[in-house]
Amino acid sequence: MSGPTTTPRSTGSGFGRLLVAVYGVLALAAVARSAYQLTQRLAEAPLPYTLSAFAAVVYVVATVALARGAGAWRTVAWAAVVVEAVGVLVVGTDSLLQPDAYPDETVWSVYGQGYGFVPLVLPFVGIWWLWRTRSGGEPVTESEAS
Amino acid sequence: MVLPLLILVVVLCAALAGWALWFVVRDRAVVLKQLFGAAAVEAVIVVQAVVAGVLQATTDHPVDGPLFWGYLVTAAIVLPIAAVWSFAERTRWSSVVLLVAAVTVAFLEWRLWQIWGAAA
Repeated sequence: MSGPTTTPRSTGSGFGRLLVAVYGVLALAAVARSAYQLTQRLAEAPLPYTLSAFAAVVYVVATVALARGAGAWRTVAWAAVVVEAVGVLVVGTDSLLQPDAYPDETVWSVYGQGYGFVPLVLPFVGIWWLWRTRSGGEPVTESEAS
Repeated sequence: MVLPLLILVVVLCAALAGWALWFVVRDRAVVLKQLFGAAAVEAVIVVQAVVAGVLQATTDHPVDGPLFWGYLVTAAIVLPIAAVWSFAERTRWSSVVLLVAAVTVAFLEWRLWQIWGAAA
């Protein structure tokens, strides 16, 4: 890739390849956990399990949108990463303020502590990457492209 | 759960991760030989699933079945997906993806061991 681009670059290559992979792992973890919680134990803790399911859907959408990475998918990716950022901050704070409402963990409890805080960091990396690859953005540097 | 099989998967994952890390340092993309390595890990996971299934069917080892199989199926699909996804990228980032996948599978194996043991 040479010179500044006039169209958005794909979000799924170069560093984006890794970002999508990490999103994919998180999406897989969230979907698997959510499927287990919803089918086996929904009655025990409806709020966290419903939140887990919602988070799982958002991670799947983010993974697919970032992997496609162009056109309307960019808009979808933006929406997904912003929802994640808000979700992890709101639920993370809420889980500290009223722990009683969360008898079991969600992906976003205590800012994603159960997942090594990856859910806290990832949306902001996603926002940064979408910003970096926008139309007319700076060209990808050597270290990102290689 | 047979411990030697689990250890074998973890050791193979560690080797694959080390191999991928070496490629990251050397600024190289994933090569076909590494995918054969991933296939070897995959083969052991399949054996593991068969053994776990037989043990569950023939012994009364108490285990949270859906949880255990959820993790096992997840462990089984990570590498194939990562292989396809990383191989399409011809930069060092493909090696980073393989590294992440190998570490993820090793982590899932550790969780499998916990889940199998928790019910014992």
